Amino acid sequence: MATPAPTAATFRPGLIARAIAVFSGTVGYIIKLVLLALANALVAWAIYVLIDHQRWPALAIVVAATALIDWIYLVPHSWALPLKFLIPGTIFLVGFQVIPILFTITIAFSNYSTGHILTKDQAISTIKVNSLEPPPNGRQFDMAPARDSSGKLVLILHDEGSGKVYVGTEKGLTRLPKSAVTLDANGVPTSAKGYTLIHGAELFQLDQQLEAYRVPTIGDAALEPQGTQIAVELKPTLRYVPKRDVFVRISDGKVFRDNGLGSFVSGEGQSAEELEPGWKTYTGFRNFRRIINDPLVRGPFFSIFAWTFVFAAACVFFSFSAGLFLAIALDKRGMRFQRTYRSILVIPYAIPAFLSLLVWAGLFNDDFGVVNRVFHLNVPWLFGGQVFSWLPFISWPRITVVLVSVWLTTPYFFLVSLGALQSIPDELTEAAKVDGGGAFQIFRRVTLPLLLVAVAPLMIASFAFNFNNFNNVYLLTGGGPYTGTSSLAGNTDILISYTYKLAIASGKGSDYGLASAVAIIIFFIVAGISGFSFWRTKSLESLS
Amino acid sequence: MTEVEAEITPQSAIVVPAVAVASKAPKSKPKLKDTWWRHLVAILAICIALFPVVYIVSSAFNADNNLSDAQVFPTNPTLNNFSELLHNNVIANTGAQQDVPYPRWFLNSMLIAGLTALATTMLGALAAYAFSRFRFKGRRMGMMALLLIQMFPQFVAVAAIYLIVYNLGGIFPAIGLDKLAAVVIVYLGGAMGVQAWLMKGFFDTIPAELDESARVDGATAAQIFWGVVLPLAAPVLAVVALISFVFTLNEFVIASALLQSTNHLTLPVGMYHLISDQYDKTWGPFTAGALLAALPVSILFMFLQRWIVSGLTAGSVKG
Repeated sequence: MATPAPTAATFRPGLIARAIAVFSGTVGYIIKLVLLALANALVAWAIYVLIDHQRWPALAIVVAATALIDWIYLVPHSWALPLKFLIPGTIFLVGFQVIPILFTITIAFSNYSTGHILTKDQAISTIKVNSLEPPPNGRQFDMAPARDSSGKLVLILHDEGSGKVYVGTEKGLTRLPKSAVTLDANGVPTSAKGYTLIHGAELFQLDQQLEAYRVPTIGDAALEPQGTQIAVELKPTLRYVPKRDVFVRISDGKVFRDNGLGSFVSGEGQSAEELEPGWKTYTGFRNFRRIINDPLVRGPFFSIFAWTFVFAAACVFFSFSAGLFLAIALDKRGMRFQRTYRSILVIPYAIPAFLSLLVWAGLFNDDFGVVNRVFHLNVPWLFGGQVFSWLPFISWPRITVVLVSVWLTTPYFFLVSLGALQSIPDELTEAAKVDGGGAFQIFRRVTLPLLLVAVAPLMIASFAFNFNNFNNVYLLTGGGPYTGTSSLAGNTDILISYTYKLAIASGKGSDYGLASAVAIIIFFIVAGISGFSFWRTKSLESLS
Repeated sequence: MTEVEAEITPQSAIVVPAVAVASKAPKSKPKLKDTWWRHLVAILAICIALFPVVYIVSSAFNADNNLSDAQVFPTNPTLNNFSELLHNNVIANTGAQQDVPYPRWFLNSMLIAGLTALATTMLGALAAYAFSRFRFKGRRMGMMALLLIQMFPQFVAVAAIYLIVYNLGGIFPAIGLDKLAAVVIVYLGGAMGVQAWLMKGFFDTIPAELDESARVDGATAAQIFWGVVLPLAAPVLAVVALISFVFTLNEFVIASALLQSTNHLTLPVGMYHLISDQYDKTWGPFTAGALLAALPVSILFMFLQRWIVSGLTAGSVKG
C-alpha cells in the first residue's frame, strides 16, 4: 500500500518507448513537417480572415510571428533547440496570460464600462442618430416599399401635406412625376412606373430591414418607416459643432461639452445632463481614486478587503489546526483501522469541490436545510446578519463560508501533517521524554517546530490560494447577502468575486475599468505573498 | 543535431515532503483502552466528512424533489431523478419543466477538462524539458519571468479575458464567446504554470547519463525527449494530467464568463444555475447529477491520492 512518491526508475525501454522510437528519425521529421504545415495552413486561413476584416496590425503580427516560428523550427542551429521546446507553451502563455495582464492594466486606467464602449467618433454619430425625433407638425408620408430595376429596396412615398410623390433611397429623396404613380383612396401608392411594389409574405420578411431603413432629407433630418405603410420625417434635436467639439440642443441652445471622462455633459452637480452613449477614453488614476475617495466604492471595497484577508487566514488556520489534530490522533503505530480512517477522511478532498459547495449550500439553506432540521436549530446560515450585536464583522454567512472551506481543506492538511509527523525521527521525542518533558511540552517544543518547517510554505501557498477562492464564496452564498440596494458588494464577497460582479455578472452594467483596478490590487497582494514565500523558502536560489 | 551540450548538473531532488506512511514497524499492538479517544476522534471526523455525501446519495434516490424532505434513508427509493436528468426532463416541484441538458454539460466538461489536461501536460513537459536539460542564454531569466507571470492568477484578469474573447469572436467566430474551443485555449495560457515546475523537478531527477548515452547512439534532442525522458516520466505525467483535469473541471469564473447558451455550459456553471435559488424545487435531480459527476473523479482521485498530494505539495513549494 505504501506507494512511494514518483521517482525515476532505471531505464527499461518499454512498449511506449519502442513505439515512440518507431516514429523517430525520418518518420519523426515527416511528422514535424506535417504538424508545421498544418499550423501554417491554419495561419493562412487566419490571414485570409484578417485581410477580410482589414485588421492590418494584427495581420502584421501574425505573419511576422509565423515566419519567425517556421524559421526556428526549420533551421538546424544550436541556439534554436531550446526554443523549439518552449515556443508551443509560450504562444498560449503570451496570448492568454501575458496579454490579459497587460490589457487589465490598460483597462484599469480607462473608463471602459457599459455606456463607454464605443470610440468617440462612433459615440458622436450614435448620439446624432439617437437625437432624431418627429417634430411637431412634421411631414408624414404614405409609403409603399418597392424594388427598383436592379432589385434594390426603395420606398415610394406620397407626402400627405403637399400631395407630391417621391422615391426614397438610402441616398436621398427624388421627386417623381405624379403621372408615374397611382394612389389608392387612402393615398397609399399602389403602383409606380419603373418600380415593382412589394406585397404579402415578402413584405413581412423585410420587417427588420425596413425598421433600420433611413432616407436622408435636408440637413441631418431623415425619413423613417413606421410599419409598412407610413413613413415620418425625423429631425435632429441636437446639433454637433465639430469646430468647438460640442453638442448644442436646438430647442433651448444648451451646450454639452466633452468632460474629459468620455461624455458630453452640460451643467454641473445635481443639474448635470449627460448625453448617451459616452465613449472609451483614458482617465488616469481615476478608478484608483474612486476606490479611495468615492464613498459609494470605498465603503464596500474596504469592507471586502478586510474580509478577504480574514477569510483566507481563517481558512488556513482552522483547516491546519483540524488537520493537525486529526493527524496527531491517528498517528499511533499499530492502531487498528488507521488506514481505513485515513482513506475515508480524504473523501471530502476527492469530490470535485464545486459539487460539495453546491450541496453544502443546500444543506445549510436557512429555510429547507438539513443542518437546521437535523440539529433542531434555527440559524440563518446563508442569509443571516451579524452574530453578535457588538461585533458587526462576524455574520452567520461568513461563518458558514469558513466552515465549508475548512471542511474542504482539512483533508489536505491532515495528509500533509500526517506525513510530516511520521517523518520526525522517534529519537527526538524519546530524548525529550528522557529529559523529563511532558507530552504537551514535547509537542510544543519539539514536534510543532519541526512540523512547521515542512508545512509553513504550504500554509502560505494555501493562504494565497484561498485569497482568491472564488468558488468557496460564490457557489455558497453568491457573495450575498446584500444589505444596501445600490451596492454590488455582498456580505461574504471577497475581492475576486467583487471583481467578477463588477465586470460580468452584475445585471447593472459592467464596469471593466473598476474591475481591472481591483484586479491589479489583488495582483500586488498575491505577488507580495508569493514573494514573501520565496524569500522564506529561498526556493528562487534553487532554480537550477 | 547534437549541438547543445547539456551540462551534467548535480541532481536537484524534487521537493516532496515525506508522505510515506507505515514504513515503521509496530513494536507492539497498542491496547484499545489507550487508543479509544483516537477512535472516537476518527469516528466523529468521519461523520462530519461523510455528512454531505450521505445526503447526496440518499437524495439522489429519493422520490421527492424537496430539500426539506431529504432523509438519510429514502422511504421510496427510485431511479426517477436519474432518468429525468439523462432525458432532459427535469420538472420542478412547481410543475414547470426546466431545460437541463445534463448529458451535454457532462460532455462539455469532460471535453474541456480532458483536452486542457492533455495539452497542458504536453506543453508543460516540452517547456520543462528545455529548462531541465538545456543550458542556454536567458534560461534563468526565463524561469524567473515564468514564476513572476504565474503569480497573477489567470481568472483575476477575467474582465480582460472576456473582452479579448469578445473581440476575437468578432473576427474568428469559432473562438469567440460561447464556444468551448475558446475556453480551452484560454485555459492553455496557464499550461506553463505550476505543472511545468513539477515536471521540471522530476526531469531533473532523471540521470543525464541516459540522455548522454542516447545521444552517443545518434539520437536527436527530440528523440531523447520522446523516447527516453517521457516514458520514464509517465507517472508524473499522469499526476500532472489528473491535477490539471480536476482543476479545470472545478473552474467557474472563466467558464461562466465566456459560455452563455444552456447547451454550452460546463458542469459547475450548469449545475449552479440548476440549483441556485431553487433548492426546494430541483434538489432530487441535482443530487443525482452531483453523484454521477463526482463518482468517476473521486474514484480516480482516491486511486492516485498519494501521488496527487505529493504533486500539489511540490508544486506549491516550487511555484
